[in-house]
Amino acid sequence: MQFQRIVTGKIKSDLYYDLIELFSGLFLAGFLGMHLIFESSIIAGKKVFNNLSQTLDENYLALAGISLVVVVFFIHFLTAGRRIPTRCKEQKIIWHHTGRLRHLNTWAWVLQIITGIIILILGSIHMWVVVTDRPIKAETSALRIQSGYLWFYVILLLLSVVHAGIGIYRQFIKWGWFPRKPLGYVIGFISIFFILLGFTALFTFLRAGGL
Amino acid sequence: MKNRELTLNIFRYDPNIPGREPYMQPYSLQETEGMTIFIALNQIRENQDPSLKFDFVCRAAICGSCGMLVNGRPRLACKTLTRDLPEVITLMPLPVFKLIGDLSVDTGSWFRQLSIKTGAWVHSDKSFNPNCQEERMSNETALKIYEAERCIECGCCIAGCATANIRDDFLGAAGLYKIARFMVDPRDERPEEKYFDVVSSEEGVFGCLGLMACEDNCPMELPLQVQLAYVRRKMALIGFRV
Repeated sequence: MQFQRIVTGKIKSDLYYDLIELFSGLFLAGFLGMHLIFESSIIAGKKVFNNLSQTLDENYLALAGISLVVVVFFIHFLTAGRRIPTRCKEQKIIWHHTGRLRHLNTWAWVLQIITGIIILILGSIHMWVVVTDRPIKAETSALRIQSGYLWFYVILLLLSVVHAGIGIYRQFIKWGWFPRKPLGYVIGFISIFFILLGFTALFTFLRAGGL
Repeated sequence: MKNRELTLNIFRYDPNIPGREPYMQPYSLQETEGMTIFIALNQIRENQDPSLKFDFVCRAAICGSCGMLVNGRPRLACKTLTRDLPEVITLMPLPVFKLIGDLSVDTGSWFRQLSIKTGAWVHSDKSFNPNCQEERMSNETALKIYEAERCIECGCCIAGCATANIRDDFLGAAGLYKIARFMVDPRDERPEEKYFDVVSSEEGVFGCLGLMACEDNCPMELPLQVQLAYVRRKMALIGFRV
């Protein structure tokens, strides 16, 4: 071992980074699922949505939840983002490699990096809008979607679910918790379910009249 | 499908000739029954171009010398049948390893470095007594070690790995597989933290992105995902202990 490694001692940072990436990712994926389920309460009606939102607010769950998500969101960016090939040379190699190899999981990783970067931007905007426009009400949510920002939510929904799906798949593969093939199918089906759920909620907001 | 006229586009480059740029050279040849890429390459070298460089030894998927990119994917030339491929076949050398020329790469130096870095031998303080009986090992353990020794070091997993392509110091699936072999060997007396030092960094198991191109391109069809996950879990456990 070299001098600089001996004097700095045992470095466990790579293990900790990996675990923080894992748990922050799982937390965010779990949050995304909850978010989409809560949000789809609009399908059951404006009243149900508002009641749910009010309950969460009264118990400070919304405040605690949103603050925690904002913090974990950026922690996840810092830990998972360290893996992104940032140098020009590296990116050139990766594109060349991925194009040549025609390997589904390698493409999924490239897609995850791209979706991750876009989510960082769109997710930050989304969080800012929600935080500055509290409390969450069916009326204000519907207004945002009806005032021409539907595309924003469609893109964010698709990217988040795809990103979370690929992320969970890869983590479970890395830690060897499930066999690959069935895991891929299960995560695929769950992702499609959440995308459909999200679309139905968006459609309901879009159609919500008399606001 | 009989008697197809194959076109092999082969990467040509000699790093020893200054000023020479790499290029792709097409060769045509008639497909024969049971033809492998290895047979096709030998025919080209014999009948068309004696200057073509490529490696082979055993032609039976044992020595791991003839790894190359067949239509972009790492394969053993001797194990790849032309009948499973389209009429136009592209052959390129494996990335990551030092290019000797054309399709020939030096996997040997890379694997030697790997062995030195990971200490890929049984570490023991016991002195050898030729008059004593050998220590016995359970059949289960022996089979485990045997399974972990099936790697032929062809380098296909390394060539398919995105991390290995951009990080020269990454151990890759072959390296972590090698480590797993010594972890299950009871004769190896290395304390756990020794393994941790070697494997638990971005150069080792925590640099793995889990893309599984190693497993999907392994000519020996080794259970790399299972082994890599085993090393990862073990390293996490050791990490919290040491």
